[in-house]
Amino acid sequence: MAAFVVVGLAGSVLSAAAQEKVTVGVLRFVSSGGLFLAVEKGYFKDEGLDVELKFFEAAQPIALAVVSGDTEFGVTAFTAGFYNLAGKGALKVIAAQAREKKGYEGNLVLASNAAYEKGLTSLDKLSGKSVGITQVGSSFHYQMGQIAAANGFALKSVELKPLQSLPNMVASIKSGQVDAIIIAPHLAKPLVASGEAKLIGRVSDVTEYQFGGLFTSTKMITEKRATVEKFVRAYQKGAADYAKAFLAKDASGNIAYAPDSDATAALVAKHVYPSEESAQAAAKVKGAAFFVDEKARLDVADILTQVQWLKDEGLVDASVDAKSILDLSFIDGHINAN
Amino acid sequence: MVDVAHDVCPAATADKRPVTFRGGLFLPRTHRLVGFAALVALILLWQAASSFGWMSPVLAPSPGEVIDALRRMALSGELATHLSASLVRLAGGFAIGGTAGIAFGMAIGLSSLVRSPGATLVAALFPIPKIALLPLFILWFGIGESSKVATIAFGTFFPMVIATYGAVDNVDRSLVRMGRSFGLSSFAIISKIILPGALPGILSGMRIASSIGIVLLIAAEMIGANEGVGALVLAAGNLMQSDRLLAGVVVLSLLGLTVAGVIGAVEKRLLAWR
Amino acid sequence: MQLIADHIAHAYGPLPVLDDISFTVGPGEVVAIVGPSGCGKSTLLRILGGLEKPQAGAALVAGAPPAASLNPLTFVFQDFALLPWRTVEGNVRLVLEGHGLLQAVVADTVRDVLARTGLTDFAKAYPKQLSGGMRQRVGIARALAARPAVLLMDEPLSALDAQTRELLMDDLVQLVSAEGSAEALGMVYVTHNLDEAVRLADRILVLSRRPGRVRETVTIAGDRRARRSDDPELVRRARELWDLIRADAAEADRELADGEAING
Repeated sequence: MAAFVVVGLAGSVLSAAAQEKVTVGVLRFVSSGGLFLAVEKGYFKDEGLDVELKFFEAAQPIALAVVSGDTEFGVTAFTAGFYNLAGKGALKVIAAQAREKKGYEGNLVLASNAAYEKGLTSLDKLSGKSVGITQVGSSFHYQMGQIAAANGFALKSVELKPLQSLPNMVASIKSGQVDAIIIAPHLAKPLVASGEAKLIGRVSDVTEYQFGGLFTSTKMITEKRATVEKFVRAYQKGAADYAKAFLAKDASGNIAYAPDSDATAALVAKHVYPSEESAQAAAKVKGAAFFVDEKARLDVADILTQVQWLKDEGLVDASVDAKSILDLSFIDGHINAN
Repeated sequence: MVDVAHDVCPAATADKRPVTFRGGLFLPRTHRLVGFAALVALILLWQAASSFGWMSPVLAPSPGEVIDALRRMALSGELATHLSASLVRLAGGFAIGGTAGIAFGMAIGLSSLVRSPGATLVAALFPIPKIALLPLFILWFGIGESSKVATIAFGTFFPMVIATYGAVDNVDRSLVRMGRSFGLSSFAIISKIILPGALPGILSGMRIASSIGIVLLIAAEMIGANEGVGALVLAAGNLMQSDRLLAGVVVLSLLGLTVAGVIGAVEKRLLAWR
Repeated sequence: MQLIADHIAHAYGPLPVLDDISFTVGPGEVVAIVGPSGCGKSTLLRILGGLEKPQAGAALVAGAPPAASLNPLTFVFQDFALLPWRTVEGNVRLVLEGHGLLQAVVADTVRDVLARTGLTDFAKAYPKQLSGGMRQRVGIARALAARPAVLLMDEPLSALDAQTRELLMDDLVQLVSAEGSAEALGMVYVTHNLDEAVRLADRILVLSRRPGRVRETVTIAGDRRARRSDDPELVRRARELWDLIRADAAEADRELADGEAING
C-alpha cells in the first residue's frame, strides 16, 4: 500500500507542469470508488490530466458547482433535483456511477423493532406505514416508489417522512418514530447487527436501478471535447479496476476477491474514510461495494424510466427531456440504449 | 491676540453675512411611495435581466415565472394546503411560546425570587440556535406536529420573555405607588396598571417574536413534513424547482407582512392613548 | 377622623432623615409641612399614608372615617400619577373598582367629583390631551372619589406654572372649607412654597434640615377663604418662615447629588 502512495506522489511531482488541471465534485462514497482508483493509480495523469477531487456533503451542490463552472465534472447519485437542473440544458450525463443490481450490495429496507413486532416483516406490508427518506425526490423516494409498484400498492398509501439527513434517518428508525427506512448498506448493517432495527428486504430484489453517473457541463463538451474524452477514458479504467477487485463472482455466485482486492480497497478507503485506520476502512469498503459497470456504461432505459416516473409524480418538470440530458457519444455500447 | 481678534471681527457694519446654518439633524423623512417604487424597480430590473438574457435561466427564474408558479399553486389548492398547515403550526407555537413568554417575563419583572435565576437562564438559552436543538426536539416530541409546534414555541418564548420583563421594568413605579396608596389589590395593580403599562413593549416584542416564528417555520418543517410553506420551500430547493422555491419565499414574506400588519392594527387600537 | 404623627423617626441607612415628629390633623384642618430640600417632608408624608414604615414612632388614626370612605388616607401626587391609557373618567373610576359598588353609584360618584373639579367636559379626554392644571384636577377628583378623611398632598402644585397654581389654589381653599363637622376633609400639605403654606394652612410645621425635626410650629389664624395672596400680613408671615429656613436651604443647595436619595 505504501508503495502505491509513493508512486502516486512521485507521478504528480514529475508531470504536474505539463498537465491540464480539472476538478471533480464527489461525495465520500464507496460507489464513486472507480473515480478514486483512477486518481490513485495515475490513470488521469497518463492522459495528461491533473485531477483535483472536491468533496461535498450532499449531491445537489455538486450539480450546482458543475453548472456554475466551479468544478468541471461531477460524480453523484441521480435525484429529481438533478434531473430538473440538467433538464435546463446546462448538464450532460456521460458515464455511469453505481447501479442497484441483484446479487450485489445495495440499499436495504429496515423496519423499526416496534413495527417489525407488529408484523412489518416484508416489503409488501409497507402500505399504510411511515417510511423515512432523506428528501423529496431523492433516490430513496424513487426506490420506495419502485417497491410500491412491484408489490402492488400505491405510493400514496405510504407516509413518506423527509428527514433531511442520514443521521436523522438512523435516529428515527432506532426510536421507532418511523416504521421503516431505505438506507445504504454501510449504515444499515450495524443497525441490524446491534438489533436496533430489522432487515425486511433489499431494493435490488425489486428493481435494478442506475444509481448515479458522471456528468459535466454542456459547455465543456462543446469547448473542450478532447479533455472530456481523456477524462472518460481514465474514469473507465478506474471502473474496470473496481469491478475486478470487488465484483468478480465464482461459480457458485459468491463474490470472489482477487489477491490485490485489499490493496485496491485501501486506495478507495483513503478517500471514503480518510480519518480511519486503513485495514479496518478497507474491510468496510469491500463490504459496501455497490455494483459498478466495468466500462462505466449507463443503463439508458432505466434512466428514461426514472425520469418518466418522477414526472408522473410531479417531482420533475414536464418540460424535461430525459434523452437530452444524456450524451452517449463518449462510451460505446451503453446498456439498453435503444 | 487683540490684533487677531480685530481681524476676525471687522467693525464695519456694512459687512453683514448670514449666520451659518447648523441645523442639519439627520432626520430622514419616510416616503411610503418611494419605498414601494424601489421594490417595483428591483422586480422590473430582475424581469428585464431574465427577458433580455442577461441572466441565465439556470441561475434564477424570472419574476413572471415565480408569479406563474404561485398562480398554479393557488389554483390547484396546493398553496392553501401548505399555508393552512404552516398557519396552524405558527399560531399554535406562537400562542404557546408567547403566552408562556409573557407569563414568565411578568414573573421576572415582578418577583425578586424569579428575577435573578430567570433572567440568567433566559440570557443563556436565548442565543442557542433552535435549529441546533432540532434533533433533541425530535427525540422529545417525535417527528409529528408537536416537535414543529415546540420549535416555534421555543423560538418565540425567549424574545417574548425579554420584551415583557423589559416592558414591566419600564412601567412608571409612581403609578404602582399610586395604586398601592389607593389600596388596590396586587392583582388589580398587575392587571390594571402593570400589564397595560407594559403593553407597548409587549406588542413590539410580539413583532420580533412573530418574525422569528416565521423564520423558524423552515426549521420546524424540515423534519417529516410534507405540508407547510417551509416544507414547500425545502422540497422545491431539493428538486431544484427555483420558481416554486421563490414562490414559497414570497409567500413567507407576505405572511410576515400580514402578521406585522395585524400587530400594527392591534397596536393602533390598544395604544390609541399614545 | 384624626391622623396622628406619634414621635416618628426614620433613617435611610446611616443617614437620619426624620427625628421625633409629632402632630395631629383633625377634620377641616390643614397642616402644612415646609422645609428645605432633604428635610424628609415627602418621607414623612409616605409614612403617614402607610407607604413606608418608620423606624421609630408610628402613624396613627383615631376616630371613625367618613361614611362610605373607600380610602381614608388618600394621596395627591406632584407628578399626578394618572394612568395614560385611561380617560379622565376611567382614572377616577379606577379607585372605585373592586369595592362591589353598584354601577349607578360609581357613575354618580364620578359625575359628582368631576363636577366639583370642573372636569365634566373633559370626562372622555386622555391625560395626554390635558394641561398640567387639568391633570392635577383629575388627581384631586380621583382622590375625592375615594371619600378620604385626610388628603395627603405631596407638592401638588409644584409641577405647574405660576398662573395655573394660583387658580388651583383657589380650588383647594374651597375644598377644605372649615365647617368643623366631623366629616370635613383634613389635609397634610407638603410644599416648599411658603406662599402656598400661608394661604392654605391652619398650622405650619417648619422642619429643620437633616434629620428633619420640627423647628417651629406656626399658626395662621382666620378663615382661609378670606385670605388673599397679596395680604400684607400673609406676605410678612411668609417672609418670617423664609428667614427660619433660609440658612438650611442654602446649605441644601450646596450639597452634592448623593444626598438626592433622601431629599424631602
